[in-house]
Amino acid sequence: MLRTSNIKKSFSSVEVLHGISFAVEKGCVTALVGENGAGKSTLMKILSGVHTDYTGEISIDGKPVFFKNPRHAQQLGVSIIHQELSCIPHLTVAENIFIGKEPARRFGVVDFPKLFADAQSILDEFEFPYSPNTPVRNLSVGWQQIVEVARAFSADAKIFILDEPTSALTENEIRILFEKIRVLKKRGKIIIFISHRLEEIYEIADEIAVLRDGQFIGKYPVKEISRSELISKMVGKAIHETKQIKSSASSETVLAAENLEVYGKTGTILSGITFDLKRGETLGVAGLLGSGKTELLKFLFGELKAQHTGRITLEGAPYIPKCASRSLEGSIFYLSKDRKTEGIFADLDIIKNCSMSVLSDFASFGFLHEKEEAAAVRDQVSSLNVKLESYHQSIRELSGGNQQKVLIARGLLHRPKLLLLDEPTRGIDVGAKAEIYELIEQLSSSGISSIISSSEIPELLRICDRILVLHNGMPAAILAAGETSASEILHYAFGEGKAWTKPTD
Amino acid sequence: MDKTYRLKFSEREWIKPVFGVLIIFVMCIVFSPTNTKGDLVFLKFENLTNILRQVSENGIIAVGMTYVIIAGGIDLSVGSILALSATITAFGLMDWQLGFLITMALALAVSSIAGFLNGAITSWGKIQSFIVTLAMMTAARGFALFIANNNSRDVGFGPGGAPSVFAVFSTSYWGIPFPVFIFIATTLLFLLVLKKTKFGRYVYAIGSNEEAAVLAGLRVKWIRTYTFVLAGALSGLAGIIHAGQLMQGNPNDGVGFELDAIAAVVIGGTSLMGGKGTLEGTFAGVLIIGLLSNILGLHGIQKDFQLMLKGAIIVAAVFVQEGGIKLHPLRSMSRNKGETSRR
Repeated sequence: MLRTSNIKKSFSSVEVLHGISFAVEKGCVTALVGENGAGKSTLMKILSGVHTDYTGEISIDGKPVFFKNPRHAQQLGVSIIHQELSCIPHLTVAENIFIGKEPARRFGVVDFPKLFADAQSILDEFEFPYSPNTPVRNLSVGWQQIVEVARAFSADAKIFILDEPTSALTENEIRILFEKIRVLKKRGKIIIFISHRLEEIYEIADEIAVLRDGQFIGKYPVKEISRSELISKMVGKAIHETKQIKSSASSETVLAAENLEVYGKTGTILSGITFDLKRGETLGVAGLLGSGKTELLKFLFGELKAQHTGRITLEGAPYIPKCASRSLEGSIFYLSKDRKTEGIFADLDIIKNCSMSVLSDFASFGFLHEKEEAAAVRDQVSSLNVKLESYHQSIRELSGGNQQKVLIARGLLHRPKLLLLDEPTRGIDVGAKAEIYELIEQLSSSGISSIISSSEIPELLRICDRILVLHNGMPAAILAAGETSASEILHYAFGEGKAWTKPTD
Repeated sequence: MDKTYRLKFSEREWIKPVFGVLIIFVMCIVFSPTNTKGDLVFLKFENLTNILRQVSENGIIAVGMTYVIIAGGIDLSVGSILALSATITAFGLMDWQLGFLITMALALAVSSIAGFLNGAITSWGKIQSFIVTLAMMTAARGFALFIANNNSRDVGFGPGGAPSVFAVFSTSYWGIPFPVFIFIATTLLFLLVLKKTKFGRYVYAIGSNEEAAVLAGLRVKWIRTYTFVLAGALSGLAGIIHAGQLMQGNPNDGVGFELDAIAAVVIGGTSLMGGKGTLEGTFAGVLIIGLLSNILGLHGIQKDFQLMLKGAIIVAAVFVQEGGIKLHPLRSMSRNKGETSRR
C-alpha cells in the first residue's frame, strides 16, 4: 500500500500542495483527476523523486520512505511514465528499454545479443511490429510511447505511475496498454493513472481520486460516482462567483474563421474551427492540455507554419497568416505563454525589450532616436503600473507579472487591433493578475479585440465575453461567459459530447 | 522614472576590459627593458605604433567576429577568408592587372559572398554556424590555393606591377602606419552601428532570445546573415591590409587568425552564448593580446612560451569577466539569480 500523509509543497514561497493525504491499495488502478494546475503532476513528481523539498510523509507498505532522486525512487520500486516523451531518439528500441540496466559481460561490455533477445520478448507482449534494433527516432510518437511503457513495465517495480500515457496513442495502442495494465493489476501492483479522458478513466480505473487547487478532495469507487458529479468535484463550488463586466463588443466583425482546419507534420492539429470576433470583444479559448489552444493562437499569428484549409477574414478581407512580421504589420500581436523562452530578451533593458517591435518608428536611416524611443516606452509602461527601479535595468530583474506587463506594453506600442494572448497570467501572482484583467477590460473598451487562451477557467469567465471550448483540436462549444459555469466548460473540455445539464445537488 | 539613472561605474560592461588594458599597460611599463640610453623601450613611440600596426588585422577581424558572436553565432572561416582576399589582391594587382580600386572591390566582394554563404546556410539550412564556417574555413582556403596554384604571389611596383597607390598600406602618416587608421576607423564606425542603429539592436536581440525575436517580428534569418556578411567583408579588408603590409598574397596565411579574433572578443567580455558584449571590450581585448605579445617579444621570449602564456591569459580574462572577481557583490548576486532562470 502506498500512503501519503499531509504532503505540502511550495514553489518559491507559493504553496501549491496543501497537505495531501491519501492511500492507494495494491492490485488496484487509481485514476488521479483534476483541472490543469490542480497539483497532479507536482504530486507525481514528489512520488517519483523529482521534487524532494516537500513536507509530509510517504510510506510504502507501512514503511516510511524518502526518495532522494529519481534513481533512488526507481530502486525503491517506483516506475513512472512521463507525459512528455523521454526516449533517447538515437538509441535503438532495445537500448531504450534497458537504459541504465543493460545486461553486462566482463569489463562492463554490454551483452547485446541478450539485450536484444530480452527486448524482443518484452516487445512481443506489446504486439510491437518493429525490430528491437530500430532507432527510436524512426518510430511514430505512439509507438515511442509504447516503448516508454515497455521500459517502465519491464522494471521490477511495485508502483507504476502513468502520467497521461494515452495522449499520443491510437485506439489499438490504448487497448494493448490497458491489457498490460490489467495484467499488472492481477499481479498486485499499485497503479496510478492520470488522464484527461473520462471514458478511459471509467474503463480502466477502480477508484478515482480528485485533486483540486492543491487539495485532496476525495477518493471514490468508479461505480459510485457519475461523470457530472466527478466534474463538479473537480471544479468545486467556490468559483461560481463571476464578476461579469459590461461587454464592450460592437457589432462590427474583426476576425472570422469558417471551418478552419490546420494540418501539422503528424496530422490534423485543428479542425472545424468556426468563430467570429467583434470589435472590442474578448473571446476566451478553453481546453485541456493538448486541446489546441496555443496552436490556434500561434496559427492566427502566422508562426505555426502549418498548412490549412477554410476561410479566415480580417476586417472583411481574406486573411492568410504568414509570419510574425507580417501579422504585426497587420496590427495583430501575439503574447506567448512561455515568457522566458519566447517573450523577454533577458540580456536587454526594459526600454529595449519594450520597443523591439516598433524600432522603425524611432529610426531614420537606421539610426535610432533614443530619446523619442525612451519617451514612448515611458508613456506606455507607466500607464501599466509596472514596478521598476529604472527603465535601464535588465528585464530579468523584474518579477514575472511586471515582465508580462512590459511585454504587453510591447504589443500596445504597436497600436494593435487584435491581441492574441496565450495564458497571459501564467506564473503571475494574484495582485498582478487582477491588474492584467483590468488592463484587458480597458483595452476592449477602447475597441481592441482579444483572443485569450487560458487553462484557468474562472479567469476566462471573468474577462471574456464568449468562450470557445476546444477538445482534441475541435470546437466543443461556444458559450456566452455570462450564462455558463466552470462545470459546463469543463464538461465540454473533457469531450463529453452530450448537452450539459446542471447537476442537481 | 529617474531620467538621470546611470549604471554604476563598475557596472558598465566595458569597464573590466578597459581596466584590463590599463593594468597590462602599466605592467608593460614596469617590466619594460631599457636601451643603452636608459630609456624604456616599450614606451618608445615607434614601439607603441608598432603594437597598433601588429594588432590592426586581428582588430578588424574581431569587429566582425563581435557582431557574429553577439548574434549567437561563431565564425571560424575568417582566417581563410583573409588568405583568400590577400591572394585575390596580389593576383588582381599583378597578374590580372585590374587596377587598385577594382582589385579592392573584387577582394571585398568575394569575402562578402563567402560571409553571405556562411550566414545563409546557417539561417536557411538550419545548420550550426560552427559547422558551416568550419566548412567555409576549408573551402575558402582551397579556393585561395586554387587561384594561386599553390604558390604565393609577390607584389611589386613599377611597369607591369601594382599601381603605386597600393603602397599606402605600408606607409605611415604622422608616424602612424596607415592600417592603424583603418583599424581605428572600422572600430569606431561599427561601434556606432552596434550602439545606435536598429540593426545593432536587432543583433543583440537575436543573440539574446531567437524565439522571442521571431515573435517580435524581427527578420532573424536576414539579420544573422548580415552579421556573417560583415565578418566576411571585414576579414577581406584585413586580407587586403595583410597583402599590403607583406607585399605578398599567400594562400597559406591567416592560419589560426579566427582563434585570435575569438580570443579578443571573449577577453573583451562578449558572451559566447550571445546577447551580451561590446565593441569597446573587443577593442580592449585586441590591445591586451597585442601588448602581451609585444612585451614578451621585447624580452626575446620565444614563441612557444608566448603561446602558453596567451592561453593562460585568455582563461584568466574570462574568469574575471564571468564574475570570478566581484566588484559589486550584491548586484552580481541578483544577476546570477536571473542567469539560472534564463532559457
